[in-house]
Amino acid sequence: MKILIPLKQVPDSTVRVKVAPDGKRIAADGITWSISPYDEYAIEMALERKDSDPSTIVAVVTVGPARSRDALRQALAMGCDEASLVLAEEEVAPLAVARALAKVVQDAKPDLVLCGKQASDDDQGFVGPALAEVLGWAHVSTITKVVVSEGAAELWREVEGGHEVWKATLPALATVHKSEKEPRYPSLPGIMKAKKKEIPERPFASLGIDANAPKLEIVSLEPPPARGGGKILKDGDAKALAERLATSLRDEAKVL
Amino acid sequence: MTAPTGGFVVGGVILLLLVVLGFGAFLWRAYRLYRYMRLGRNEARIDHPWRRVRDELIVYLGQRKLLKRPYYLRGLAHAFIFWGFLIITIGTVDLLIDGIFGFHLPGAGSAVFAWTIDLFAVLVLASIAVAAVRRAFFPPPRMHVALDGYVILGMIALLMLTLLVFEGAGLSAGLLERGYTPPPIANGILRSIFSRDLAGVVFPVAWWTHVVTVLAFSAYLPQSKHLHIVTTFPNVFFRKQTPRGQLSLIKDIEQQETFGAATIRDFSWKQLLDGYTCTECGRCSDNCPALATGKPLDPQRIVLDIRDQLLREGAALLADPKARTTAPAHWSERKPEELWACTTCAACVEACPVTIEHIDKIVDMRRNLTLMEGSAPPEAQRAMTNIERAGNPWGAPRESRGDWARELGVPTFAENPNAEYLYFVGCAASVDSRNQKVAVALAQILKAAGVSFAILASEETCNGDPARRIGNEYLWQTQAQRNIETFAKYRIRKVIASCPHCFNTIANEYPQLGGNYEVVHALQLVDRLIAEGKLKIARGTAEAIAYHDPCYLGRHNGVYDPPRAVLDAMPGVERVEIEPYHRERGFCCGAGGGRMWMEEKVGQRVNHRRIDQLLATNSGATKVASGCPFCLIMLEEGVGAKGVQEQVKPVDVLELVAGRLQS
Ligand code: SF4
Ligand code: SF4
Repeated sequence: MKILIPLKQVPDSTVRVKVAPDGKRIAADGITWSISPYDEYAIEMALERKDSDPSTIVAVVTVGPARSRDALRQALAMGCDEASLVLAEEEVAPLAVARALAKVVQDAKPDLVLCGKQASDDDQGFVGPALAEVLGWAHVSTITKVVVSEGAAELWREVEGGHEVWKATLPALATVHKSEKEPRYPSLPGIMKAKKKEIPERPFASLGIDANAPKLEIVSLEPPPARGGGKILKDGDAKALAERLATSLRDEAKVL
Repeated sequence: MTAPTGGFVVGGVILLLLVVLGFGAFLWRAYRLYRYMRLGRNEARIDHPWRRVRDELIVYLGQRKLLKRPYYLRGLAHAFIFWGFLIITIGTVDLLIDGIFGFHLPGAGSAVFAWTIDLFAVLVLASIAVAAVRRAFFPPPRMHVALDGYVILGMIALLMLTLLVFEGAGLSAGLLERGYTPPPIANGILRSIFSRDLAGVVFPVAWWTHVVTVLAFSAYLPQSKHLHIVTTFPNVFFRKQTPRGQLSLIKDIEQQETFGAATIRDFSWKQLLDGYTCTECGRCSDNCPALATGKPLDPQRIVLDIRDQLLREGAALLADPKARTTAPAHWSERKPEELWACTTCAACVEACPVTIEHIDKIVDMRRNLTLMEGSAPPEAQRAMTNIERAGNPWGAPRESRGDWARELGVPTFAENPNAEYLYFVGCAASVDSRNQKVAVALAQILKAAGVSFAILASEETCNGDPARRIGNEYLWQTQAQRNIETFAKYRIRKVIASCPHCFNTIANEYPQLGGNYEVVHALQLVDRLIAEGKLKIARGTAEAIAYHDPCYLGRHNGVYDPPRAVLDAMPGVERVEIEPYHRERGFCCGAGGGRMWMEEKVGQRVNHRRIDQLLATNSGATKVASGCPFCLIMLEEGVGAKGVQEQVKPVDVLELVAGRLQS
């Protein structure tokens, strides 16, 4: 079987983001980029399936600028078999991304598409379900487990106090909340092999899709205000302390 | 001619035959073992030849590593057996030559030689008695007490006895002519026991028994762990002469296809020789913090499993050069958890009397798990990913590295490229809030002493030590390379580290990648600044402070005294030791070898045991001082878990100094 994972390269979660001078974007210089964490879970989920059935083919694709190649290499190093890039230096509207991915899916003909449930940069959670809609496929969101058997898949989804199990005939799409294990650390031969692997690329414009789609416009970005120092109330018995705490919460913090 | 083969051609021939049989059996087996050993990969061990000769004199002949706390008496008994054995072997060789060819070695007929043999024969017998009683009645917990030991002790005792009896009886029977006063035991006691007639019979019997025992001994030896009498000689000679804290470099790592030790062939010949040399004494295991706290790791088993596996597979591997064999992670009941339990504290290496190198084997096996199989524990993988992406195992933003220094006016090299020293802050003191206080303390001290220094702030990256010890040589190399390039950019030559792991890897391991610097640990520098009068310490409150030796400062780098000297230089401070676990027997905090980043669920936590040891001294210490950020974190967690944080407070020695600076 073949599993395709569309992924997104995002600023690594360890990066301290800064706002660009125009106040509408984050400053891109000196940033460490990596695969969005939920996409890593999707990859791990697919690779776990490959561990138990080595005939599984795991492919990754991304729509993004040239630097996204690094994210694809990272996925190859983890153990994915194929990677391809849809090159778009300018930011593409989410629905157009979904349309581009639909093209890739139609060519690659996977049995299952796994997306991260949302990208960690803008947290929209849009592309996965939109891709299913464009393809006209069934989809289940935020899954934690997938069990594949003859032409069908059981998709497990955590809900409060238990989980739901959905059955879908393949092909189908799911967005991933978490894999069973933490995303694997690549082996060194894996890293070396990934460095040599060819990553086919096609320009976004060559796909011939409609790039017109609604897009969010960012009016302004600003960092959260610096956290002021905490305050420790000492000296005094419990009652006096409680009174002072209540006063502070009302008059200073204005939360009561 | 004094041997009872005298004149008899038959006797001489029989003797010659026995010698060929006995020594032949030895050589036959020894050659086999040698060929097995050569199955291991190549490794050059001939650097520093003079140091090797020196070590041979001190460690092999001098028995230096046996005479150690808490093993003095046993060590001395062993030393006597060994020295006696060597001297008597010379006597035996002389006796055989005499028996076959009818002449003596030069000097063998002298009074000095006879008296020496006589004296040592007695010392050996007494020491054997000590050893036998100890085995029978007080067997040490980790030692394998097997028949083998008694057989060897018995044979050596027999050698000594027959020699004395032979000499005594010979004298009594008038068969031996001595041109000097014969030695007291053989002459005085034994001579008077035998009547002249009896002596005539005892003399040849004792002689032949001696000879047969020698030959039986040499035939038996290679089957026994007592082969160490022989193998220790090369094992000491070929011991690692590079710093103890330096792991081996994987050269041209991007061109390699396999990494670490997965099978017997992946160990070096020296690592296999270690297996032949292990005496099964159990000293390594006695001192292992992982084993002591119930982890599934036993350093002695690490060594012996390699040996046993080699003996099991050796013949098949020699027969088929292509045969690949089982990975050590799957030998017998070995589980990878054993390998992950090691803190690389070097207590085993320090304790081993025959210079066996445990850590290198463990790390080689870890390299295989991490680099080939990608199977390090998940928390360790997270730490490695963080190092890769953020340059520190915590995963704190790289840009935050210099935050602690911002308000202190500590310059970066970008701001002051002419600073004399680089203070390499390290990840812990850069991003861990508790350890940031230590960095602040050191900055204050350096300023007070007028030392010219700067930091690299966000240009600094992890020194790579945790990655290297988890087995990720590649990540270590990339981190180290990055730092080396940054150092080169600012022409940095002198480095201060407040973390022993940074100190060890920059001082001992960066040279492997071409980075050579003058590196000091902050406490060495502070010690020097105090001695030079550049730092003045004010009198503080009188208090008792215990010192905890960080493994990478103490055992790995021999820095035991400077931190103590700093404590002693503080008026009012009474330094106390965590007896008997201090200096080279210091007990690990549990964080080394990448363990800081792994869960510890089996057995007692190592740091909790350390706090138990501290409390058991009843020294009244109100603080426990260390010189390592990881020790500090572990000790803090330990006192918290034990509920004694009010009673004894973990600190870094630097914080104590900074708090008592005299303006
Ligand atoms: S280095 Fe320390 S933890 Fe590791 S085996 Fe040796 S004594 Fe045990
Ligand atoms: S490795 Fe060294 S310390 Fe450990 S049992 Fe063998 S000889 Fe003794």
